[in-house]
Amino acid sequence: METEDDLCQNNWGNSSSSKLREPVCFTSQHKWEDASILDYEMGMEEEPALQVFDHMKASSGQEHNNNNNGGQVNVDFLQGVRAQAWDPRTMLSNLSFMEEKIHELQDLVHLIVGGGRQDQQQQQHITTDLTSIIIQLISTAGSLLPSVKHNMSTAPGSALFPYPREANNLASQTLNNNSNNNLAQDFDLPKPTIVQERESHVVEEHEMKDEDDVEEGENLPPGSYEILQLEKEEILAPHTHFCTICGKGFKRDANLRMHMRGHGDEYKTPAALAKPNKEAVPGSEPTLIKRYSCPFPGCKRNKDHKKFQPLKTILCVKNHYKRTHCDKSFTCSRCHTKKFSVIADLKTHEKHCGKNKWLCSCGTTFSRKDKLFGHITLFQGHTPAIPLEESKPSAQRGSSACENNTGMVGFNLGSANQESPQPGFMDGKMSFEESFSPLCFDTCNFGGFHEFPRPMFDDSESSFQMLISSACGFSPRNGGGGSVSNTSL
Amino acid sequence: MSLSILSALSEDLLVRVYEFLDPPCRKTWRLVSKEFHRVDSLSRTSITILRVEFLPVLLSKYPNLTSLDLSVCPKLDDDVVSRLALDDTVSTSRLKSLNLSRATAVRARGLETLARLCHALERVDVSHCWGFGDREAAGISVAAGLRELKMDKCLSLSDVGLARIVLGCSNLNKISLKWCMEISDLGIDLLCKKCKDLTSLDVSYLKITNDSIRSIALLPKLEVLDMVSCPLIDDDGLQYLENGSPSLQEIDVTRCDRVTLSSLVSIIRGHPDLQHLKASHCVSEVSVSFLQNIKALKHLKTLWIDGARVSDSSLLTLTSSCRALTDIGVSRCVDVSDIGMMGLARNCSNLKALNLACCGFVTDAAISAVAQSCLNLESLQLESCHLITEKGLQSLGCYSKRLQELDLTDCDGVNNRGLEYISKCSNLRRLKLGLCANISDKGVFHIGSKCSKLLELDLYRCAGFGDDGLAALSRGCKSLNRLIISYCGELTDTGIEQIRQLEHLSHLELRGLKNITGAGLAAIARGCKKLVYLDLKLCENIDDSGFWALAYFSRNLRQINLCNCSVSDTALCMLMSNLSRVQDVDLVHLNRVTVEGFEFALRACCNRLKKLKLLAPLRFLLSSELLEVLHARGCRIRWD
Repeated sequence: METEDDLCQNNWGNSSSSKLREPVCFTSQHKWEDASILDYEMGMEEEPALQVFDHMKASSGQEHNNNNNGGQVNVDFLQGVRAQAWDPRTMLSNLSFMEEKIHELQDLVHLIVGGGRQDQQQQQHITTDLTSIIIQLISTAGSLLPSVKHNMSTAPGSALFPYPREANNLASQTLNNNSNNNLAQDFDLPKPTIVQERESHVVEEHEMKDEDDVEEGENLPPGSYEILQLEKEEILAPHTHFCTICGKGFKRDANLRMHMRGHGDEYKTPAALAKPNKEAVPGSEPTLIKRYSCPFPGCKRNKDHKKFQPLKTILCVKNHYKRTHCDKSFTCSRCHTKKFSVIADLKTHEKHCGKNKWLCSCGTTFSRKDKLFGHITLFQGHTPAIPLEESKPSAQRGSSACENNTGMVGFNLGSANQESPQPGFMDGKMSFEESFSPLCFDTCNFGGFHEFPRPMFDDSESSFQMLISSACGFSPRNGGGGSVSNTSL
Repeated sequence: MSLSILSALSEDLLVRVYEFLDPPCRKTWRLVSKEFHRVDSLSRTSITILRVEFLPVLLSKYPNLTSLDLSVCPKLDDDVVSRLALDDTVSTSRLKSLNLSRATAVRARGLETLARLCHALERVDVSHCWGFGDREAAGISVAAGLRELKMDKCLSLSDVGLARIVLGCSNLNKISLKWCMEISDLGIDLLCKKCKDLTSLDVSYLKITNDSIRSIALLPKLEVLDMVSCPLIDDDGLQYLENGSPSLQEIDVTRCDRVTLSSLVSIIRGHPDLQHLKASHCVSEVSVSFLQNIKALKHLKTLWIDGARVSDSSLLTLTSSCRALTDIGVSRCVDVSDIGMMGLARNCSNLKALNLACCGFVTDAAISAVAQSCLNLESLQLESCHLITEKGLQSLGCYSKRLQELDLTDCDGVNNRGLEYISKCSNLRRLKLGLCANISDKGVFHIGSKCSKLLELDLYRCAGFGDDGLAALSRGCKSLNRLIISYCGELTDTGIEQIRQLEHLSHLELRGLKNITGAGLAAIARGCKKLVYLDLKLCENIDDSGFWALAYFSRNLRQINLCNCSVSDTALCMLMSNLSRVQDVDLVHLNRVTVEGFEFALRACCNRLKKLKLLAPLRFLLSSELLEVLHARGCRIRWD
């Protein structure tokens, strides 16, 4: 109990203080409405509820500053609530403060009723005061949170505002109504019953998120969403949508609907073909968003995990489960090394596999050269690495083994002592025949030349010297004289 | 007695004397005595190695070498380098400059070893190593102290390799990436971000875009920017340079098709200290705004606007505002005429180089004016100026005593009298008379007798001159090292044999001389021991005796063209195996050579060939083993 309190305290304190540093001043009614809209779309937002909530807190504090002297106290009080979240005495003082405020307000309304004139300004005063009271009430309720949530599984229907999200909705709704008469009605409305609606997926003990957990994913406060968990078989099933008539399975319901058209005209109506979407009637209460849990025990995406992070959609669940908990059965057909468990991943990889990977000396790879160069410009000491595959044939003596010579047509004549050059070729090219006279090696004795007895690419200079001296009668040159005279000066 | 005087000289005095000597004299010097030899070994700082066998010995003999040229050392490869690394007697720690141009057989491993061996390495030239790529670049990048790097035509070098160099050698001052076609904006951008000390950058022929220019403009110390023929760069790119690269002094935008005058104006506006502006063949017309802005360039020395439409009046305005100009290029500026040239001569009296090639309206009057006013003129290009006659050449002979280079290719007006006048320019080093059909032995005789300092002479298709003229040249121009007498049909063995007197001859083109035989070639081979380049294309009457002599004597031959020669199998084999420095061979249309002959000949020299031209069908007839080795050794084969 103690630790949980601390956790709770920390969380509140942290989130609020960080937000309060930049108090946004919402003064116009319009803005408030915006906030409420934002609130409805929270499912999409990254860090939704708290932000809106904090804005409200901040602005309400300011409004109070304008209205009465108690404004400052009000803010302090709010912080007090946060600081000592679960202190009965504070709670008591809070309640009495609110009581006082409500009395004040009551007097004001009496005055208006007595005076018989309804001033626009006065009305607005009342509205803002009411808003602040509501918020205080919510905060106070929120401080009760840790104690409440234990009872939730046993008594889920408790008419409290367990989480800021609901509270927030409420607040904005109230504002939308913009009338204090509706207030009571609105207070009756809150939907704690939503919690009740969850069938088998009982929300068990959530722990408040740690700060270091905020790095990724949405910042939904636990419990503000409904958690569903599919079974392994369900996840891995190839089809999720089945035809009720013939039993054929489909991956997408759109495909199923297309299929259904074949079963009769009744399925061809626009209504039947329309997306069976959330029958979102505008103005109706927002349904609780759904989040998914991975069935794999111990996984971070499993709801039992300490730092549970829910998955957003069924597709996410499928991909997550395959990627993390299944064998990688698809191998890239190009590099034969990379393996994937999701076909889409394989396809994405194959699209880029084999293309120039721009590699930095630090090991980072880039798909584009300009990105690599940007990286190099930025980091001192990093250089682009030269990929090994495209190594060029080394200029070594006798490196005739190099096979990757481009432009070399594999038209091997065998060795040089093959006597007749491709006959068919010669026939085809008459002009060519003129260029190369038939063999006339009789003029000079080539000795063992035909077999190339010496190492093929011997670079000894005097290989033909003997030949010359014998054939032409020139005296052999003094070989030693070259050492310095050969260097040009 | 003389010995005692020499022994009285202390070593440091000897060193001082030694420093005054020319390289050929130093060769003689070291043969005098042991003492002298010692001085030579200790004082020598640069060496060009011709045969790789002597590399370790020479390196240990000359411990104070700072510059090593291995560009004409065909057999250099990774193995040699690694053996060098194992040799303790070799000291390479002082080497600062390393020339590995065309050393295609040295690859990444060798380069890395070399870079590790030479701690003090500052300059490396690996230009024309066409097979070099990222690995080789990574090898070079080990030399962290590198300041100058030339990588022209390293065709496989990509941004990744450049990045390795940039990150390894961050002190780079100069880098040349000409023809490194794989380099893109990313590489240039990284280069400009990491090498802030860059003063000279050559990005010619690269497919870089304006983004690169934006990066280049951020270089604070850039002085020289060469971007010849960058087809993707336009005016928007050059605009970045207006306010960038504050110390820019030289820019070359020759043949950048999409660059116009407006961006040049913006560059001029941003850099009043610009000294060299080379904008040949990209400016179509010189505009008024250009003329107004160029006035601000008080230090402008070089202006190349070849191919632009420049009227005489704008040339006058131009030269009157930039009087410091020493080098003007207005070739193919068809509108230029005498009036403009006279104004130019009046205004730019410091002119040293003038290019008037293909300016068809320029006459003797203009040449006379230039000769009389610009007494410092050193180089004059008059190719295809058909109106020039002996009168113009007369004033050149009278006044231009400092003239070193004169190009009269395809000038119909040049005759024997003209050559007589020209011969008075006694300092002439390079003379081009190609396609001058009106000159005969008489004129050539004047050249031969008076221009003794001549180094290069081009007599391409001068059909009028014959053996006597050539004999006169061979007698008079002893220092000639480059001679082109292709298609001079009159020449026979008698004249050709005279060439043997030219001991310094290294480049000889005898293309299309049908009358010369083996005897003539043998005489040349015996006499011209320094021959490096020989073109014998279409010399059909040279028989094997000439080639055998060539094989025996011309051991320094590096490049040879034997197309359409009647060389036999054996002679070819002997040539290819004996000429141990041959790197570049053209062997097209050799009617007497069989496939086996080619196979043997190429096998004999495959470890040193860098470039080879063969008939395309041979590709399938030569053994693939041979082709693979050639390829592996970095030889590029052109199939004709």
